[in-house]
Amino acid sequence: MSGRKKTALLLASPWIVTLLLFWTVPLVYSFIIGFTDYQLLKGARWVGFSNYVELFSDEVFLASIKNTFIFVFGTIPITTVVALGLALLVNGQFKGRAVFRAGFFLPSITSMVVIALIFTSLYERGGYIALLARMAGLSPPEHGFLYNAGTALYSIMAMDVWMSVGYYMLIFLAGLKAIPDELYEAAEVAGASAVRQFFSITLPLLRPVALFIIVINSIKSFQVFVEIFVMTHGKFDTSTMVYFIYDAGLRTDFRLGYASAAAYVLFVIIALFSILQFYLMRRRRPLW
Amino acid sequence: MVSRAGTLRATGRYLLLSAILVIMIFPLVWMFRVSLMEPGSISGGSRFVEAAFTVSNFADLFTSGQLLRPLINSVIVGVMVTLGNILFCFMVAYSLARYQFIINKGLFATVIAVLMIPAHITIIPLYVLCVKAGIYDSYWALILPWLVNPIGIFLVKQYIESLPPAVEEAARIDGASELRIVFQIVMPLCKPALAVLAIQVFFTNWNSFLFPYILTLSDSLRTLPVALALYQGHQAVDWQHLMAGSTIAVLPVLVLFLFLQRQIVSGITAGAVKQ
Repeated sequence: MSGRKKTALLLASPWIVTLLLFWTVPLVYSFIIGFTDYQLLKGARWVGFSNYVELFSDEVFLASIKNTFIFVFGTIPITTVVALGLALLVNGQFKGRAVFRAGFFLPSITSMVVIALIFTSLYERGGYIALLARMAGLSPPEHGFLYNAGTALYSIMAMDVWMSVGYYMLIFLAGLKAIPDELYEAAEVAGASAVRQFFSITLPLLRPVALFIIVINSIKSFQVFVEIFVMTHGKFDTSTMVYFIYDAGLRTDFRLGYASAAAYVLFVIIALFSILQFYLMRRRRPLW
Repeated sequence: MVSRAGTLRATGRYLLLSAILVIMIFPLVWMFRVSLMEPGSISGGSRFVEAAFTVSNFADLFTSGQLLRPLINSVIVGVMVTLGNILFCFMVAYSLARYQFIINKGLFATVIAVLMIPAHITIIPLYVLCVKAGIYDSYWALILPWLVNPIGIFLVKQYIESLPPAVEEAARIDGASELRIVFQIVMPLCKPALAVLAIQVFFTNWNSFLFPYILTLSDSLRTLPVALALYQGHQAVDWQHLMAGSTIAVLPVLVLFLFLQRQIVSGITAGAVKQ
């Protein structure tokens, strides 16, 4: 081997080790034990597809899939639209825009555990959000928003939107900055209205950025866990897929094989969505 | 007339922006306010304004030692992981950016592949792996798996590719060794990218919950987010102390954010516009 080749390998070795030890081995291992009844402190027996069969008749698992889908498809459109709105509002030159940008962005770099703790209190029976709801003439749930199957998941989703819009706003802002001013100047000369400019210039040119945001946000959102763990422990119909994996594998019965099979179902769902999104991203003819 | 409509629109924009700002900031202000209330007091309604101020919650947390150990753990793990990523992401990125061997092209494909894999699906096997390797419930489990990350490699690789290779070639002609060129000439040139990387890694690690939680068991190994989440579970909710602990968890991030906003923002937007 040449000296340069050796150097190249040596420099790449931290990644090679991490890739093998902490990605390849775990992924292969959990794929295999997904076909066993491996339980901590007990042996493992080959059971074929029976974990997968059991999963799809396990009501808790099915509810977790349902909740994960509600979470993903409920939050992502709202987060994306609100983030775009915020980006448009703070775009351009005006006094104090740095303060607004920083303020909007701040929640997204705060620890999710801390945010979830704060909102656990805000959502309580006597908390500020119940107070606001009463002021708006609504009647908040008797025991607080998180102790009610009809409101718990949606309350967590609202918090998630609140927390992440500032982050995606920044990405939209970078996208807005990349649109050449000449386009707007030309549109101005041609007498196009602001609304027309938005739909004919801004929106089409932001399409790649918007899709990028949707892709990274959906990979993240399909794995929602921390807020469920802190705020409800999966109770009140809020269990999600990662919470189910944690609960089945590392909390109640330590059914590692069963939980690994569940993890692979989640993996396949996320992979399918990523492929679909990449397909949409590469399409020549835009959807809008 | 036009300027008056303009002023009206500007005022409207400020009003709207200020209203949103209140919504975005209030929960964090609330956290800080409750952390300064008497332990056991009620926090809702007008108490936000009326309640007496005290720093006793912070004092309690530090004297009881409940907070100090997790704080130290978070700092140790955060610093080690950040240093590891600076060194290792740079090494790997350099190899992938500058050496055009087939194996390197394959390795870059694996970086992109791992970037797309949802990390949380590995909680079960990583737990088993750490138990079997004897590093479960030790600092090693909190540090070793996270010493190099695909986003970091990607970020630094892009930066190295934007540097002109002329400097390295000149040094090579002068007879400098490969490793010397890599570490003494190129690495210092990458400081801006490595700063962005360091902040991103530190923030992610500082806020990380799931893996530190499942890979440790002893109280003495809990990081700050884990300690906070479990404290809430153990006690009948003691909001004042909990919010004091939360404030301490948020403070370093807040301070770094105020000073390093530019780097943080460029780290977030780096990959986005290229797409």
